[in-house]
Amino acid sequence: MKTDKLQQAGNSSVETESKKTKTTVPGPGSKRTVGNIKAADPVMSATDVNVYYGDKQAIRNISLEIGKNEVVAMIGPSGCGKSTFLRCFNRMNDTIEICRVEGDIRLDNEDIYGKDMDVVLLRARVGMVFQKPNPFPKSIYENVAYGPRIHGLTANRTELDEVVQTSLEKAGLWEEVKDRLDQPGTGLSGGQQQRLCIARAIAVSPDVILMDEPCSALDPIATARIEDLIDELRKNYAIAIVTHSMQQAARVSQRTAYFHMGELIEVGATEQVFTNPRTKLTEDYITGRFG
Amino acid sequence: MQISTLTLIVLAASAVAFYLGKRRALNLVAGQGGPRSLHSMPGFYGAWTALWAAVPALVVLVSWVFLEPLILRALLVSSLPQDIQSLDPDRLGLLLNDIRNLAQGNIVSGEITAVQQSAADHYRHFISLSRLSMVVVCLALSVLALAFGWSKVSPTLRARNRVESFVKVVLILCSSIAILTTVGIVLSVLFESLRFFDRVSVSEFLLGLTWSPQTAIRADQVGSSGAFGAVPLFTGTLLVSSIAMFVAVPIGLMSAIFLAEYSSPRVRATAKPLLELLAGIPTVVYGFFAALVVAPWLRGLGDSSGVDVASDSALAAGVVMGVMIIPFISSLSDDVINSVPQSLRDGSLALGATRSETVIKVVLPAALPGIVGSVLLAVSRAIGETMIVVMAAGLAANLTANPLQSVTTVTVQIVTLLTGDQEFDSAKTLAAFALGLVLFVGTLGLNIIALYVVRKYREQYD
Amino acid sequence: MTDQNTSVGSTLTVQRVRSGLARRYRLERWFRRFGMMAVALGLSFVLVLFASIGSNGISAFHQGYVRLDITLDEKTLDPAGSRDPEVIGKASYRTLVRDTLFDQFPEVTSRSDKRELTGLLSNGADFMVRDQVMENPGLVGTTHSFWVPVDDEIDMLMKGYIDRNVPEADRRVSDRMIGWVDQLEKGGYLESRFNTLFFTNGDSRDAELAGVRGALAGSMLTLVVTLLLSFPIGVATAVYLEEMAPKNRITDFIEVNINNLAAVPSIVFGLLGLAVFINFFGMPRSAPLVGGLVLTLMTLPTIIIASRAALKAVPPSIRQAALAVGASPLQTITHHVLPLALPGMLTGTIIGMAQALGETAPLLMIGMIAFIVDVPQTVTDPSTVLPVQIFLWADAPERAFVEKTSAAIMVLLGFLALMNIVAVLLRKRFETRW
Repeated sequence: MKTDKLQQAGNSSVETESKKTKTTVPGPGSKRTVGNIKAADPVMSATDVNVYYGDKQAIRNISLEIGKNEVVAMIGPSGCGKSTFLRCFNRMNDTIEICRVEGDIRLDNEDIYGKDMDVVLLRARVGMVFQKPNPFPKSIYENVAYGPRIHGLTANRTELDEVVQTSLEKAGLWEEVKDRLDQPGTGLSGGQQQRLCIARAIAVSPDVILMDEPCSALDPIATARIEDLIDELRKNYAIAIVTHSMQQAARVSQRTAYFHMGELIEVGATEQVFTNPRTKLTEDYITGRFG
Repeated sequence: MQISTLTLIVLAASAVAFYLGKRRALNLVAGQGGPRSLHSMPGFYGAWTALWAAVPALVVLVSWVFLEPLILRALLVSSLPQDIQSLDPDRLGLLLNDIRNLAQGNIVSGEITAVQQSAADHYRHFISLSRLSMVVVCLALSVLALAFGWSKVSPTLRARNRVESFVKVVLILCSSIAILTTVGIVLSVLFESLRFFDRVSVSEFLLGLTWSPQTAIRADQVGSSGAFGAVPLFTGTLLVSSIAMFVAVPIGLMSAIFLAEYSSPRVRATAKPLLELLAGIPTVVYGFFAALVVAPWLRGLGDSSGVDVASDSALAAGVVMGVMIIPFISSLSDDVINSVPQSLRDGSLALGATRSETVIKVVLPAALPGIVGSVLLAVSRAIGETMIVVMAAGLAANLTANPLQSVTTVTVQIVTLLTGDQEFDSAKTLAAFALGLVLFVGTLGLNIIALYVVRKYREQYD
Repeated sequence: MTDQNTSVGSTLTVQRVRSGLARRYRLERWFRRFGMMAVALGLSFVLVLFASIGSNGISAFHQGYVRLDITLDEKTLDPAGSRDPEVIGKASYRTLVRDTLFDQFPEVTSRSDKRELTGLLSNGADFMVRDQVMENPGLVGTTHSFWVPVDDEIDMLMKGYIDRNVPEADRRVSDRMIGWVDQLEKGGYLESRFNTLFFTNGDSRDAELAGVRGALAGSMLTLVVTLLLSFPIGVATAVYLEEMAPKNRITDFIEVNINNLAAVPSIVFGLLGLAVFINFFGMPRSAPLVGGLVLTLMTLPTIIIASRAALKAVPPSIRQAALAVGASPLQTITHHVLPLALPGMLTGTIIGMAQALGETAPLLMIGMIAFIVDVPQTVTDPSTVLPVQIFLWADAPERAFVEKTSAAIMVLLGFLALMNIVAVLLRKRFETRW
């Protein structure tokens, strides 16, 4: 939202940072992300993002790209700023009065905090799934139809029916609910509710889906289903997922970013980060020394 | 002796009793282990004795005060000659009043007969006798009970348990006052209403279209038959209440939405208490405002635009009542809107909905039961509101839906029928209780539904 | 960074969303504007209400006085020279006052004109002169300047509420009276003074003599009865329901009852008071005692609900700690829980008392609407209360009563504000976050 500090946008100095070798404790404010922040086919890219809550800085100079057809996992101990960072991508931080975002985040090369970017449009293109399933107290059908309806995406009822069906199918929920579309979405089980929320997000055909610990409120079986679903969705969407579970990150993501104290410590291919971490902090975290 | 003096004496006796009881307990164990060998702390023995000294005497005192008039009346009536005793209750009541006034040296209506004079002397005698015996009985009881309690004090007396169970009984009695109040309301209103329905049939009352309660005081007066069809009052009440809700619901609800969803915390922190000021203003002030400012203003507005507006139009009363109800709706709705989980708003906003779309399509539907509940509570308040309509609405029972005309309401009629000097038994005064019954039942129904709806709503998100 | 990654569905989404944006933002702006208007409207009601009461009432705190230089002739007042107030009080001050006035206007001779001239003075003028002389018997035999209130219509004229340009027939003050007033004014005989009568007098039919003292005393007596009854009973009920009562049907029923009583129209409590206290128990009509009883029943739910909330806010750990060292349940409550909950209970009680102070309707039912001049001394004396006084004055036809009513409202609102400020301060002072 604060666009005035974006002069340095584009000439990212991240390239040089990635050459650094193992360091121990990051100095405040320094850009010492280890690893390659680039995605093969980027849809969104964040450069030098700083986030403040009042006087407190929550995110320090983070740069990261989200690529098409891939899942980026953001891991790190509680309070490391990964959720805050995720919420910058669809400007959900706007809703928090005291929150201030600096830096440059682009969707298809368009500055999302720029003047020309409309937040409604942005959020239609960047969907989000929350920690706790939050279906509206409406019917299953109305939940999925909500996005298309407010945006006027469909011309008539048949089209809308179609969108609802395909969304539910993509979310792997259609078979379970097709006979009770008119029943309240809140009556579903936790896992079903979360898949309903995913269906609700993809009903507006976004480019990117942000997931903020989508399985933390679910049991292991429901979690497994969601993880399968995420892998499936990767074919059509760019996905960024914040997770507390390292196993989950290892299972679903192609790239992993490790956050610590509001800084991005290490980014890399998931396999590499988990098997051969390049910083001591990452290593300590994934080996379970803290977190 | 004044009742208050007597009360003070009994309380003083109780204080003395506390000291006596405590000292006795301590003395009893002085040689054998001291206070530790007592069952309870010494203070509880004091409290035990003090309760004995005070409670029985005070109970007798209070019942005496309440029952004295009834007993005195019975005594007085039985002392009167037979032919007066057989008078009809209304006349007898008047006569008794005269005698009472005569006895107290007040001004009496009409001539004083010898019978009245002797009855008054009797009455005076009864009173002084009653007062004297009250003092004697209470003081004697206090002292005797004190002695009894004192004699019971022993190291094994479970004084603490006794005192605590007494306190518990008192607490239970206090709690039952809530029930007693409800029972009292139901009985008093119902009992008088039944007497009213002896004279006027229920169907005439509930379905009749004409209301003119001016019954004659004497049977030979012209126009003695009053009409008690309450439909115009019901429609009048509904008209004024609907106008009030028409003002209060949009303004209250939109303010709540704005303050909860849009305004900055600073604006909210100043605007909310300022709006709630409206709730703290006594209704008589609103009534004065309606009659002095709003009604003449509306009338002037009507005059200048060629519309005939009654000076006591339903509109003036309704609008002002609406203003009174705004904070009621806004603060209840505010609670309800704030209890809609933030996650629902986030879900909607994350899909790209604007704030208004989120409010209209997600927050309000989710909050609807709660809002309906608070509106129902507000309606019940509007229906039962008295002073605004008494001061700003009319007395003429017009059966109309035109807000510019004068209408009257149930509460206005209750006040009109019961203020001023009335005989208690006339159909006119009894009608007020019948109206009170309707009012009580109506608002009670609304309240029960509203509280139920709100509670169900709370459970949904708790 | 390249684009062209956007899928077909997404491009379509962007187009369609964009086409609807203008309309949606318009709706958004309107919605926001409606919200702001609603708040602004609500606040402007507050403003208009206070402004109209204030502008109407402020002038009532002043009252026009006229100076009369009365010669207190010893022969008429105290022929025996005893200077006994009893004797001095017996003289006809009415004549004295009138004659002084007539001497000022020697041109007024006819009876009817003289009557009109005396209309300048308040009906209470002679009594006020008498009281002053009785207090100061030394004045007898001298000529003393007395300031006495003018008639309410003249007071209105002095305050500018009566338009001199209106034709004489439509005006309550005749041209001649205006002439006299102007003459007195020029001579320095008229003065606007702080209206102490308003605070020291009871009700009166004469607006210039009417005061709120009686109503205030009635309100205080009624509130004292209410407080003495409702606070202990309310706290006891709350303690029982919150701390001791078993969870069963009966306590549930009591709870439902309390919640419903809180929403029963106040006038119904008046009916209860009339039927039970006055007609059944034969208590005196118009008495603060009965008013207090009725208001007790009415405010109990408020106090109970607030007290229970205060008790709920005391953390269970405190009870457990007390019980663990061997305190009995009652000791736990009286020693530990009640002191912590007391500020909350007091706040609730003050709010309940504020409600009771502003209540009118039920008191009309029990006859506190009577016209009472004397200031009540005990709880069984006939009396009225401030809101009812406002109601009575609001009904009075004289223009002067409009400002009296507004001023009485200001007094009432002042007391209410005071009570609420105390409640807020109490809450702030003792607020504990567990």
